Amino acid sequence: MTHKLTTGDHILAADPLARVEGEGAMRVVVTDGQVEHVELNIFEPPRFFEAFLRGRAWTEPPDITARICGICPVAYQMSSCLAIEEACGVSVPEHIRLMRRLLYCGEWIESHALHIYLLHAPDFLGYDGAVEMAADHRELVERGLAIKKAGNALMTLVGGRAVHPVNVRVGGFYRMPTRHELLGLRPQLERARDAAVATVSWVAGFDFPDFEQPQEYVSLRSPWGYPLEGGSVVSSTGRSFEVADFSSVVVEQHVARSNALHAHLDGRTTYVVGPLARYALNHDRLSPLALDAARAAGLGAECRNPFRSIVVRAVELVYALDEALRIIDGWRDNGPASVLVPPAAGIGHGATEAPRGLLYHRYELAADGTILDAVIVPPTSQNLASMEEDLRRFVATRLDLSHDELTLRCEQAVRNYDPCISCATHFLDLTVERS
Amino acid sequence: MTSMLIGLGNPQRGDDAVGLAVARRVAALELPDVDVVEVDDPISLIDTWCDADPVVVVDAMSSRQPPGTVRAIDVTDQSLPDDGRSAGGSHALGLATAVELSRALGRLPARLVVVGVEVHGVSTGSELSAPVRAALDSAVSAARRGLEGGGA
Repeated sequence: MTHKLTTGDHILAADPLARVEGEGAMRVVVTDGQVEHVELNIFEPPRFFEAFLRGRAWTEPPDITARICGICPVAYQMSSCLAIEEACGVSVPEHIRLMRRLLYCGEWIESHALHIYLLHAPDFLGYDGAVEMAADHRELVERGLAIKKAGNALMTLVGGRAVHPVNVRVGGFYRMPTRHELLGLRPQLERARDAAVATVSWVAGFDFPDFEQPQEYVSLRSPWGYPLEGGSVVSSTGRSFEVADFSSVVVEQHVARSNALHAHLDGRTTYVVGPLARYALNHDRLSPLALDAARAAGLGAECRNPFRSIVVRAVELVYALDEALRIIDGWRDNGPASVLVPPAAGIGHGATEAPRGLLYHRYELAADGTILDAVIVPPTSQNLASMEEDLRRFVATRLDLSHDELTLRCEQAVRNYDPCISCATHFLDLTVERS
Repeated sequence: MTSMLIGLGNPQRGDDAVGLAVARRVAALELPDVDVVEVDDPISLIDTWCDADPVVVVDAMSSRQPPGTVRAIDVTDQSLPDDGRSAGGSHALGLATAVELSRALGRLPARLVVVGVEVHGVSTGSELSAPVRAALDSAVSAARRGLEGGGA
């Protein structure tokens, strides 16, 4: 919906935003040729997950927090497992870490294929959505769905279900898939990897607005390859800190117009998490195939145009499929499906790279494993301030565009982040439920 | 061809779980030649339902009707009324999109009926509300009529 004020000033509004997970709206006010005000409104009902976790057992967060998001349940399971295991002083053996990485690849494949093909590509090809695009480009949509299906197959085998995996537990898995079962997925994953390489060259040919973001990029960096299931935190300005220090570096602030919290570094610096940050800080960790695809698509050492995030997401899709095949090929059936994680009083932190960026969990446990406090900082709430900053800068240089064109471009600027509004929504009053 | 009953919903979002509750009741009836599945990602329906006929999807509905109202809509030849959001959930792409994308890709079942149950509340961690619980029998009956080829 757009409005033109009788004064000649403009208010651009998209209410609600289509094709973002959850519900949100944005408002841009332009007065006398200047961008006066930009805001993203979040009106998804507040989520009570952090309060809901208090008083529950230390074994429950993987199942409970998986329900926060229908698109990235594995991210919630992995970050919560890491945090609880740290609080209990347990670290899992290498084969369990690898199986977690494999499961996480499945989630990236599902999530990135969905966003690239059904949510983001319609913007660049001039369609209102996936249904309209499918009418003209059936083969492309079929290709995207086939890639997503390969991710579903991986999630179903390793996680027990395609959505909201039930096979994950603190300490590992209830049951390990066998090498024989994993090899059965190989042909489907190989076809999907070929399709992902084709996806990179397809999206690299889109027209991108000329726009660069100056914000600081933040992601995990790990010794195990491109970051997924853990690591420490690094940034494009040279910051480097452990996950345990996350809450002392990142300060979340409540913004009155929104149920979501906005996060800043040191309480003032806006930053970006997600594919562009991961790529800038870890492209040297990509597999040769993914790196070749990135180079062929014209990506350099970093990409600062958020509209081109679709290209980086496609490169990550190649990597996730390549990495899944690498793990499967090297898999040997040995070691337990899980290790014991006896409860202990303490605080634990966990961070992993959700498809949309770094997802941080912190739990405080009593000696019997009862959860005393829980903090969850999802990637979308970390990106909200940057989304607003992108909008402000982008609109300021494009006031000559028609009203409809500018509105569409603003919606696109938000969709660049693949925002998951329902994940980003916090309820501020955290002390009400404390008993 | 086997018929299929699909329950759609999130078990931790109050009345959003009504589709799952109906699916469990139908599963307990052990009807011959009926597959019963539970789904919480609407877009995966495209692959779930393409080899079955007829298909009935039971989902939570938000349409300003009294809570517990049960409505069956045959979407084989018409779109699902949708105001842009999926009923009761916060999915990236809702049931209406899954139906239309399947139609565009030629993957819609020969007959597809959506049974909607009007929700009362979908807050996190809540149980089914009393009016929705009271509507379960009638939703199961509507689903069975759909599976038998009628009722919409």
